[in-house]
Amino acid sequence: MKILGISAHYHDSAAALVVDGVPVCAVQEERLSRRKNDAAFPVAAIEWCLDHAGLDPAALDAVVFYERSMLKFERILTCALRAFPHSWRSFPKAMKSSLGDKVWVRGTISSYLGVPRSKMFFTRHHESHAAAAFLTAPTDRAAILTADGVGEWATLTVGHGQRHSDGGNGRTEITALREIRFPHSLGMLYSTFTAYLGFAVNEDEYKVMGLAAHGRPSMVDEVRRLIRRTPDGAFTLDLDYFEYHTTAARSYSSRFVDLFGPPRNSYDPIDLETADGRRFADCAASVQRVLEDTLVDIARALHQETGLRDLCLGGGVALNGVANARILAESGFERVFVPPAPGDAGCALGAALYADRIYFGRPHRDVPDHPFWGPPVDANDLARAAREDDQPVQELDEGALVERVADELAAGRVIGWMDGATEFGPRALGHRSILAAPHSREMRDRLNRDIKYREEFRPYAPVTPIEAADRYFELPPGGVRLARFMSGVFPVRPEWRAQLAAVTHVDGSARLQALDRSMAPRLYALLEAYGRRTGIPVLLNTSFNVAGEPIVNGALEGYSTFRRCGIDALVAGPALVMKRAASLARPVTEGVA
Amino acid sequence: MGLPREAHVDRILRPVHRWVWGDFDRRVRKLIAFAEVEGDGGRDILRAAEVTPDPLLRRLYLAHAIDELHHADLFRQRSAALLQTRSTRLKTRFNASPLPGGHGLDDLRIDGEPDHRLLAFLHVAEKAAASRFAIYRDVVDDDPPTRAVFEEILRDEVFHMNYTYTQLARISPRSYRRHVWRARASRLWKRYLRVAVALAGVLGTVILTIQYFVLLPPFAWLARRAQRREPAGWTPIARDRQDSPASEY
Repeated sequence: MKILGISAHYHDSAAALVVDGVPVCAVQEERLSRRKNDAAFPVAAIEWCLDHAGLDPAALDAVVFYERSMLKFERILTCALRAFPHSWRSFPKAMKSSLGDKVWVRGTISSYLGVPRSKMFFTRHHESHAAAAFLTAPTDRAAILTADGVGEWATLTVGHGQRHSDGGNGRTEITALREIRFPHSLGMLYSTFTAYLGFAVNEDEYKVMGLAAHGRPSMVDEVRRLIRRTPDGAFTLDLDYFEYHTTAARSYSSRFVDLFGPPRNSYDPIDLETADGRRFADCAASVQRVLEDTLVDIARALHQETGLRDLCLGGGVALNGVANARILAESGFERVFVPPAPGDAGCALGAALYADRIYFGRPHRDVPDHPFWGPPVDANDLARAAREDDQPVQELDEGALVERVADELAAGRVIGWMDGATEFGPRALGHRSILAAPHSREMRDRLNRDIKYREEFRPYAPVTPIEAADRYFELPPGGVRLARFMSGVFPVRPEWRAQLAAVTHVDGSARLQALDRSMAPRLYALLEAYGRRTGIPVLLNTSFNVAGEPIVNGALEGYSTFRRCGIDALVAGPALVMKRAASLARPVTEGVA
Repeated sequence: MGLPREAHVDRILRPVHRWVWGDFDRRVRKLIAFAEVEGDGGRDILRAAEVTPDPLLRRLYLAHAIDELHHADLFRQRSAALLQTRSTRLKTRFNASPLPGGHGLDDLRIDGEPDHRLLAFLHVAEKAAASRFAIYRDVVDDDPPTRAVFEEILRDEVFHMNYTYTQLARISPRSYRRHVWRARASRLWKRYLRVAVALAGVLGTVILTIQYFVLLPPFAWLARRAQRREPAGWTPIARDRQDSPASEY
C-alpha cells in the first residue's frame, strides 16, 4: 500500500511517502524551494517523493493530509466571533487567508495530483504528531504527549499507544485521553515571548531557549500570572495578557507590556551588558522555567496514570531540548522518544503512518531509526562545479578522506560535510553539517562571525560517539536515547568544559548528539579519527546553512554556501574541495563578463 | 552603461518621493522593506547560481547574490540605526508577529527557467532599481548616512545592470533585445496584476468588514455564551470519538 502524507499551509510544509508500512522518503518543502520554513503546498516535495519511489500519482492508494482543514477553519471563525468587535481588523485577513486556499485542501490535492476523492484522507493535527512520535519510536507501549501552538482546537494532548508485533498481525492503537484547547496553549505562551523578545514566531523559539541560559528566572512569578494551573492538572492562560487569539498583528497585549516592560526591537542586538539585555534574558529564563515546570508536571501525572516506562513526545514544543531533559529526569519515565521532526513537517510522515496503521488497520512494521529520508547528495555535481571554478578538487577513497578531514579539523579548519540523504527535520544530524573543532571559544566566535552570521548568545552543539558520550557529558539514564536526534540538553562534565568551550553553553550545558555507528557510519569514523588525533572524539556539529536560509540539500547548494562564507573545505561523497584564498572577491569586475 | 536616466514619470513624482522620504516612520519602513526585498532577491539569484549550467554565469550570479545580501544588511543596519534614535513607542510597531504564508505574486521562478529569461528580467529590474535608488539618494540629502547607503548600493546596481546585459548578449546574441523587451512587458503585466490583486484585496476587505458588522453580531453573542460554558482545563476525548477518515471536519 502506497500512502502519501502531506503537511502544508501554516509553516514548514513537507511530504512523506510510506510504502507497505515503511517510510520510503520524506522531505521538507524548504529544502527544495530554498525558502526557509516554506509553508506553501509542497509541490516540489511531493514530486521528489514520487520520483524517488518511481511512482505516478495514480499509483497512490491514499493521500493523507495532516489536519482537518474545516475543523481548523471552524476554530478560526469561532475565535473571531468570540472576540467581536475587537477582531474586526483580523477577521477579513483571516477569512481571505483561509478561504483563499487553506480550506480547499481537497481541491488543491486534486489539482496537483489528480487523485479521486475516495483516496483522500485526513487526520487530526495532534493525531499526526502523536503518530510521528509513537510509530517511529522503537517501543511497543508508550505514553504520548503532544504540544504545540495549535492544531485544529487542541494545543496539547495526552494519551498512549500500543502496538503488537506478534507475527505481524497485531493492530496498532493510539488513544488520545484528553486535550487542552485553544486559546490555552503552551506553544503560544512561548511564541508570545518569542515575539516580545523580537524574534520571529514559529521560527526563532530556539533562540529564546538559547537566551534563557544567560538569564535568571527572576520573573517566574510574573509569568505565572499569565498561566494558571487548574485543579485537574491542566492550565489556562489569562487572556488579558495576550492578543494572538483576537488579532494577527500582535501576540501580546498592553497589559503584558506593563508587566514585563517594553518589548525588544528586533533590529536591536541583544547586549547582555545592558539592563535591557539582562531583562530580556531574564524573561527568556523565566518563561523557559515555567514551560519546563508545566510540562514536567503534566508528564509526571501521565506517568502515574499510565504506569508506562516510555514516553513519546511530539509537536513543536518537543524541540525544546532543555524541557525534554527535565522531563526525562523528573517525570518518572525511563525513556523519552522525540522524533527527528517533531514539528509540523514531521506530521506529513505521522499522517501517512497513522492512516496505514489506524485507518487501514495494517500490521505494525518497524520504522528505521534514523532521520535520513531526503534527497541524496551527488558528489559529481560538486566535483564538476568546483573544477569549472578552478577550485582544487580531490577524490579520495573512504578511509583516506576521513583521515584527511580529521587532519583538517585538528588543524582548526571548518568543514562543510555532505553525506548521503538529507535529514528530515530541523536538525543537522551528520549528513548536512558544518563540522569544526569544539575546543576553543575562538572557534565559536569565528563560526558566528564568518560562517553562520548569528547572535553571540546562541550555543553550538557537539556530536560524539554513543560510547564516549558519558565520558564528556552528564547523561541521566535514558539520556543517550534522547541525544540520538539531538533532542536533549545535558551538562558538560565540569572537567571537560574548558576543552569543549566552543560547544559548552554559558550554563555549562550542551545539546548533544550521541551518534550510533549504524546511523551515520562515515561521521562516526571521522569522530574516531579525530579522537585519535586530539584525544577527544567530539566535534562541533551545526547545520549546514547560513542565517535566513534552509539547510543545504544538493551538492551545488553546499558549494554556493561554501563559496560565500568562511568554510575552509567541503566534502560530498568522495569529493573534497579546499577553498583557495580569496576565491571570491567582491565585487567581480565587468572584465569577467 | 552608467546610471539610467530618470524616467519622465519619476521626474514628475519627485515631490511625492521627497514627501514619502521626509517622514521618519515611512523612511524606516521603506528601508526595512528594501532590506527584505534585497534579501529575497539575493536568495533567488543564489538559487540561479546553483542551477545554471554556465560556469561564468554561476560566478557572476554568486557575486550578484552576495551583493544583494550585503545590500539587505546595509538597509537593515540603517533602519535599525534610525530606530535607535526614536522612541520605544515607534519601535513596537515593527514588532508585529509575521503571519506564515506561501509564495506571493512577486516570486521569481528560478528552477527550470532558461538563463536568457532570468538575465533579461534581472537587467530590467536592476535598471529600474538603479533609477529609483538614484532618486531616493537625492531626496534623502538631509540624512547623509542613508544617502551613503544608497550611494554604495547604486555602484553595485550599475555593475549588475551591465553584466546582465553583456551576458544576455553573449548567450543569446541574436535575440537579446527581444528578450529585454519581453522582460519589460512581463514587468508591466506583473505590475498590473499587483495593482489588480491589491484592489481585489481592498474590495474583499470592505465586503468582509461590512459582513462582520452586519451578519456576525448574533453569532458572536452565541459564541461568547457557549464559551462561558466551557470548563477550564482538560477536555476529555471520548474513546469512541468517530472521526471519519475522509472528513475534513
